[in-house]
Amino acid sequence: MSQENPNLISSHKDILHFPKGGKPNLRPNEWQTWTGEQDEGGLPDLEHGAHKVLAPFHWWIQHHKEQDILACAKNGQIGIWFAADDDILKHADLIEEGKILWSIVAAHFPLFRDGRSFSTAALLRDRFGWDKEIRAIGDVLIDQLLQGARVGFDSFELRHDQNPGVALKQFDLYTVTMQNSWRDKRSLLKV
Amino acid sequence: MYKYDAIDQTLVNQRVTQFRDQVIRRLDGTLPEEEFRPLRLQNGLYHQRHAYMLRVAIPYGLLSSEQLRTLANIANKYDRGYGHFTTRQNIQYNWVELEETPNILADLAKVQMHAIQTSGNCIRNITSDPFAGVAGDEYVDPRPVCELLRQWSTLHPEFAHLPRKFKFAINGAKEDRTVLLCHDVGIELKKNPQGELIADIYAGGGMGRTPILGQLIKQALPWQLLPSYLTALLRVYNRFGRRDNLYKARIKILVKALGPEEFARQVEGEWIHIAKGDDNFIQSEWDRVAQYFTKPDYKDLPAISNDELNSKFAAELNANERIAFTRWLERNIRTHQVSGYASVILSLKPHGTAAPGDATAVQMSAIADLADQYSFSELRVTHEQNLVLADVEQTELLNLWRAAKKQNLVIPNIGLLTDLIACPGGDFCSLANAKSLPIAKAIQERFDDLDYLHDLGDISLNISGCINSCGHHHVGNIGVLGVDKDGEEWYQITLGGDQGFDAAIGKVIGPSFYADEIPDVITNIINTYVAQRNIDESFIETYRRLGVTPFKEAAYLHAKKKSKTEAIGPEGIAS
Repeated sequence: MSQENPNLISSHKDILHFPKGGKPNLRPNEWQTWTGEQDEGGLPDLEHGAHKVLAPFHWWIQHHKEQDILACAKNGQIGIWFAADDDILKHADLIEEGKILWSIVAAHFPLFRDGRSFSTAALLRDRFGWDKEIRAIGDVLIDQLLQGARVGFDSFELRHDQNPGVALKQFDLYTVTMQNSWRDKRSLLKV
Repeated sequence: MYKYDAIDQTLVNQRVTQFRDQVIRRLDGTLPEEEFRPLRLQNGLYHQRHAYMLRVAIPYGLLSSEQLRTLANIANKYDRGYGHFTTRQNIQYNWVELEETPNILADLAKVQMHAIQTSGNCIRNITSDPFAGVAGDEYVDPRPVCELLRQWSTLHPEFAHLPRKFKFAINGAKEDRTVLLCHDVGIELKKNPQGELIADIYAGGGMGRTPILGQLIKQALPWQLLPSYLTALLRVYNRFGRRDNLYKARIKILVKALGPEEFARQVEGEWIHIAKGDDNFIQSEWDRVAQYFTKPDYKDLPAISNDELNSKFAAELNANERIAFTRWLERNIRTHQVSGYASVILSLKPHGTAAPGDATAVQMSAIADLADQYSFSELRVTHEQNLVLADVEQTELLNLWRAAKKQNLVIPNIGLLTDLIACPGGDFCSLANAKSLPIAKAIQERFDDLDYLHDLGDISLNISGCINSCGHHHVGNIGVLGVDKDGEEWYQITLGGDQGFDAAIGKVIGPSFYADEIPDVITNIINTYVAQRNIDESFIETYRRLGVTPFKEAAYLHAKKKSKTEAIGPEGIAS
């Protein structure tokens, strides 16, 4: 894999998926996350033959009117990732359009204890009704998975040193919850 | 008090299992300390100067006698035979081992207790009125709302990694006994003219390096809508609170930067989308929770005045006891909603013989017995670090006094100079710049004359060992703050702070002092008050009338160094 490629911020072999209502599992990754640097116009060819690119939202803001970009998007080749300081509510119109154009979105964790992307995921699900995949990328650690899964993430690009086997076991630690969330309702006793 | 249902119990048990696994991963090295730290903090585990410290939640300050006995057992089994009640109504153990903390948490879970969110950048334990449900000046019993919000905030996924810690205070009485305006969010409960429960919301209060009083941002919010409104408020903070600078990350900085009106507008803008959602409280949940906060089985008793009590018990007391008991009635007893009952404050502020707020395991067990015998098996913790037996029959007060006296819990100093608040300071806390406890001890020893203390009347003296302000020095009439200057411990004095709805942040009077100067400095300030006061005028009233100048001049009368610039320590993870 191309750790050396400065255009990539990550390219993982496997992604931890936890679909709503489903079981957590590892699946091969189809997406490469692009930093947005070395923007030479059009969608970059990050890896020979791989054409599915998670591009940064700030890049989309710049290029979303370009025909070749739109064509790639309609062809299912573009996903968008949000930086922790992207204000998605400020760009509600673009997100609404993106619901048709983007195959996947992701939210980035610059540091595992930076919780802004939890709110981003919650807003994407609650406010925008985004119903496709939301992936957690960046400094994604085992002990964030539960919270992420509840607010709206359904796939996780774990940091390279994280043990996927331990990660897979996180999701059934709790059988009850105290709040409604995207994934489940607050537990109530059956009367 | 509230009893867990199967859901509460399951959650707390599963939290123990989760933490046990995290500790195992820490010990086997797969979880590095840097990444374990926020996880242990979210479960109340600090690493202090000498050992790990575990902070156990006492939700809104309410305890059962059974729980207190467990706290005593934990002190014996895992610590050094005592615990420290904190200004956030929690209890801390200063000498625990990392390997044993999952077992401590398992012991706590058996009596419906935990350490969830007692630290870390998340929603913390809720502070409330220690006289909830019994106070004579109460509009609304805040406990059902406290409990509903405790549940709502427990393991809230979206707000697990906020920019900084986040503290709620909830009050429902005429007087504020929660330091409401110094909290990230203050919730003031009241009834509207239709008799419906509503809340006024204050935001952006806090102590620390930048003390600010909360601002009113929402009025008359129906109680059911608290979860959606607080979600909106926390979401704005989570998204826009500063994360670039630890010292500017509290919500108070965001509210100040935006201005309260703009902050309120942004919260409204978010809330409008979720106000009608399904996150709000429902009546059946209220009913389930509120049933645990109904009145205990009070007897039908006549009210008795203190004078009547004194004459009633006079024959049973010798001359010295009579003075002590009369003083105790005057200072340590609070009026009750129900005739024939009183609330009793057990003082954890002996003069110099124990740290403020410390209780030994023996004392805790004895207090649990007192609660069983005299107060429906319940207790409360105050933010001034004392314990309260809320429902005592007035005719039992003498028996209770005698029993509590054996444990050194009846010193009649509540609200007086020696009832001082102090954080653990540099003796324990790794954040502290200076020690607090020796200062507290020196002041208590200097002012050991109860006649004199009673003559001085109401006065608060609060000591923090660093700018994190766990000792609430900003709101003490007299505040003492430990500062570090070139590795030396210095103490800065503030005057004019106050809590309650007249809350005020004290003003720094000038350069700081050496530790050994503090008793003299306090004495000089107190002497100025005594010399200048009008009849029946309290310290804070005299201060407000005269201003800082005469007190300042007195404080520096014999100061060893006349000028010193302070270095104020960093705001780390504090209570």
